[in-house]
Amino acid sequence: MRPDDRDLDDEIRGHLAIETQVRIERGESPEAARLAALREFGYVPAARDSMRRVWYSRWLNVAEALVQDIRVGARSLMRAKGMAATVVITLALGIGANAAIFSVVRGVLLRPLVNRDEATLIYIRQSAPGLGASNLTFSVPEIADLKARVTTLSSFGDFSTVAFTLVGFGEARVVQAGVVSGSFFEVMGLRPVLGRLLNEGDDGPSAAGVAVLTHRFWTTSLNSDPSVIGKSIGLGSRTATVIGVLEPSVPYPADTEIIANIVTSPHHLGATMVAGRTHRMTELFGRLAPGATLEAARGELESIHRAMVSEHSDSYSAKAGMQITATPLRDQITSPARTILLLLLASAGVVFIIACSNVANLILARSIRREGELAVRAALGASRGALRRTLLAESLVLCGAGAVLGVLLARPFVAAVSSFAARFSVRALDVVVDGSVLWIGAGLAMAAAVLLAYVPRLPSAHGPTGLAATGVRLTPGTNRRLRLFATAQIALSFVLLAGAGMLVATLVALQSEGPGFEMRQVLALDVPAPLGDYGTKVIDFYQEVTRRVGELPGVNAVAVGSFVPWRDHGSFGPSVPFAVEGYTPANGEEDPRARLRIVSPRFFEVLGVPLVAGRQFTEDDRRGSEAVVIVSQSVAQRLFPNGEALNRTMWWTDPYFGKPVPRRVVGIVEDIDDENVVRAPAMMVYHPFQQMGVAGRVFVHASGDPYALVPAVKRVVRELAPNQPVERAATLEDVRAEVLTPERLNAFVIAGFAGVALLIAMVGVAGVLAFGVSARTREFGVRLAIGSTPRSLLMSVLSEGMAIVSVGIAAGIAGGYACAGIAAGYVAGIELPGMLPLAAAAAVLGGAAVLASLMPAARASRVDVLQALRSE
Amino acid sequence: MAKPRDDQRLDLLQGTLDMLILRTLQWGPQHGHGIGQAIRAQSDDLLKVETGSLYPAMHRLEKRGWLKSEWGVSEANQRAKYYQLTAAGKAQLTRERDRWSQLVGAIGRIMNPAGSE
Repeated sequence: MRPDDRDLDDEIRGHLAIETQVRIERGESPEAARLAALREFGYVPAARDSMRRVWYSRWLNVAEALVQDIRVGARSLMRAKGMAATVVITLALGIGANAAIFSVVRGVLLRPLVNRDEATLIYIRQSAPGLGASNLTFSVPEIADLKARVTTLSSFGDFSTVAFTLVGFGEARVVQAGVVSGSFFEVMGLRPVLGRLLNEGDDGPSAAGVAVLTHRFWTTSLNSDPSVIGKSIGLGSRTATVIGVLEPSVPYPADTEIIANIVTSPHHLGATMVAGRTHRMTELFGRLAPGATLEAARGELESIHRAMVSEHSDSYSAKAGMQITATPLRDQITSPARTILLLLLASAGVVFIIACSNVANLILARSIRREGELAVRAALGASRGALRRTLLAESLVLCGAGAVLGVLLARPFVAAVSSFAARFSVRALDVVVDGSVLWIGAGLAMAAAVLLAYVPRLPSAHGPTGLAATGVRLTPGTNRRLRLFATAQIALSFVLLAGAGMLVATLVALQSEGPGFEMRQVLALDVPAPLGDYGTKVIDFYQEVTRRVGELPGVNAVAVGSFVPWRDHGSFGPSVPFAVEGYTPANGEEDPRARLRIVSPRFFEVLGVPLVAGRQFTEDDRRGSEAVVIVSQSVAQRLFPNGEALNRTMWWTDPYFGKPVPRRVVGIVEDIDDENVVRAPAMMVYHPFQQMGVAGRVFVHASGDPYALVPAVKRVVRELAPNQPVERAATLEDVRAEVLTPERLNAFVIAGFAGVALLIAMVGVAGVLAFGVSARTREFGVRLAIGSTPRSLLMSVLSEGMAIVSVGIAAGIAGGYACAGIAAGYVAGIELPGMLPLAAAAAVLGGAAVLASLMPAARASRVDVLQALRSE
Repeated sequence: MAKPRDDQRLDLLQGTLDMLILRTLQWGPQHGHGIGQAIRAQSDDLLKVETGSLYPAMHRLEKRGWLKSEWGVSEANQRAKYYQLTAAGKAQLTRERDRWSQLVGAIGRIMNPAGSE
């Protein structure tokens, strides 16, 4: 049985008692006998230790010594509370941020998808770099061509997004739905949690309409109600039966609530969809055939695509430079988030380095203050290992506390970062704080602790020990180290500040951009018409809505349109080619392109867009009367620089529009760019709503609070059509704010990091200077005594601070550009900040450094001469 | 017999302490102090075992299973830990004794080669 410490002590005590007894019996006095017994025994702790060592391994002994050291360390840190608190908080910020961001990176970029066998699941994309279209999607004839010829892919799944008015689950509303063929779920490798998914039997125009619910919709909107299976729901003009619920999975390519078969969408059965080679709205997925590699599939897709383009050269303009690419689905899903997450990870890493170097500085300064103590311990026989162990114990206490606090911080951090990252990848939504955070936190803390324990130098065994020294002595080497750390902090903070400055500058530029129309008072609402129903009934409906809403109190003007600026960007297709009588494209030049918009008569009045020439649309521009259009100034000036655009005739040349209809230009309005927040010249052609019939957006110019009108507008519309959805009411100003949210969040998050870094760096600079001042009290006293003015001392300390900052900023600029150069090789879309953010970052750092230097500088100038000279 | 002076005392050969402890315990259970005294007395005060080596050695032997210990009360009415040989300890003592004889014989032959006297 292992003896414990009490056993060992008892045994020794017994030995001493017996020896004393023997000596007393021999005639010695009890007192002398006891002392002699003790003397003969030798050093009791050493004997007990060597007995212990028989039973307990060496590591256990070291660990126990460390525990002892940690207890001592914790006690000694309690005497330096300010320093300890600074270190713990600094480390906690660094560790917490890193742990949180790494959790999100892991959850978004590294976690596998639920899709079966995701390694063979690829996403196929068609793009037209020449038109600036990065994802053109596919048309049905194109998909048919690929399917017929490709051998490296065993199956294809297609998905198109359609907006349906959904009736059957509560209030009627417009939902985004996926329309897919029967092979989709098999290709995606997804399973149902309830019922069944779509299969080949659901294909074809004569199949019954069926729909699958996504897991999120089923759980959040339907309370996971299992009885929905078999329920009949209305999808636009058709009905469908709910047949199953999909397992939780990344909704890609679109976050839809339901996924239905082809027959539910009349549009999918029409000639435009089935035969229109340029009518592209379908996303394409594929499964690699057994044995085929991604490379082989890419090569084959490219060659087949080239052949297809040359066979149908009338449908593919040479200028578009059409391309086809294939990527693993996971890469495709995570790519938008990759850059931003890696940027965040890098920022968090930089903050951690700054935190560590600051903590190193504090610990270095502390160890200099206690050089005397260490020297005494060394003189008493403590080995270098024991001294190092003391330092390690202290830094373990500090870093351990920092890690605990950091891991606690990580939870709210993860919530914040994942809601932020959800803008870029839906996967971020279900990132949770998991055990990895603990490991990361602990790992970072251990790394920091070991590093920090090796920062201070130990008192040298040779040479003069610090025993005689009573004050703080600062050797040039140590001073250099302190400054080096402070400079590094400044340099790294500068990089973060400059990055944040760049993002803020971008955001400010975006927000100060005037759109060229009224935003604050204009309310935009989605009031969608049934898809494909362009009849006169619809026109009457919108006209009645316009009339009745216009009569509401507080409404200045009402108009119908087809496109809410910014919000509808991407939902209305690319620009359309057209021709104008009197304008001949130069040789080899393609037809000009313009954005097609449909607006009702008072649209330009509602948005406050000035008319440059000609007239507005009127109620007389209706079906059967002369076909007319209004063009934007860019169209007029680019095609007719001499100003004779009015009354020319134009027609769309895209085959999608069928036989060209000549339309007369009756007006010219000023440019507005409703797609980009940063305005660019916009080629726009507006059609009168009553001649086209397609609209779906209502714009209301309010005299008071626009949102106060929403219930009344809803009521008016519902009076006319009970099942009519009225959704997404927002002022144009808020629409733009919503569109700018990612930019704002980017700027906010990076600025947050930069702020933390700045704070830490300031503490660092102030600490180094304050320490320098306290170490040089005597010197300052002497200088004051021989005639220096306090002012000159103040300036000398300030200039020391500025020297650290200047060197730091210079290093930051050099290092930042070098890093950006390296990073540009791995991450696309790296931009370098302009002069303004750089100057601003330098100014902020400089200013903060002056503030940080002031306190120690003031202390230097207030040194009491007599006390300083007497102090040693 | 006069007590040997301190510088006349002999240092123990490496590894022999274990054997001496085992040998001492052959006469019956004994506590640490008693073992030390016995070695000293048996060697006519030539061998003095430091307590700093004696106790760790006894613990080492106990850990290897050659000794077992239990608390008891000494002649002087002191609480003390008594050690006694186990069966394995007895076997070990035999082995060590053989090895010791071999060693002494070998060293003796080197120091006093046959016929040199």
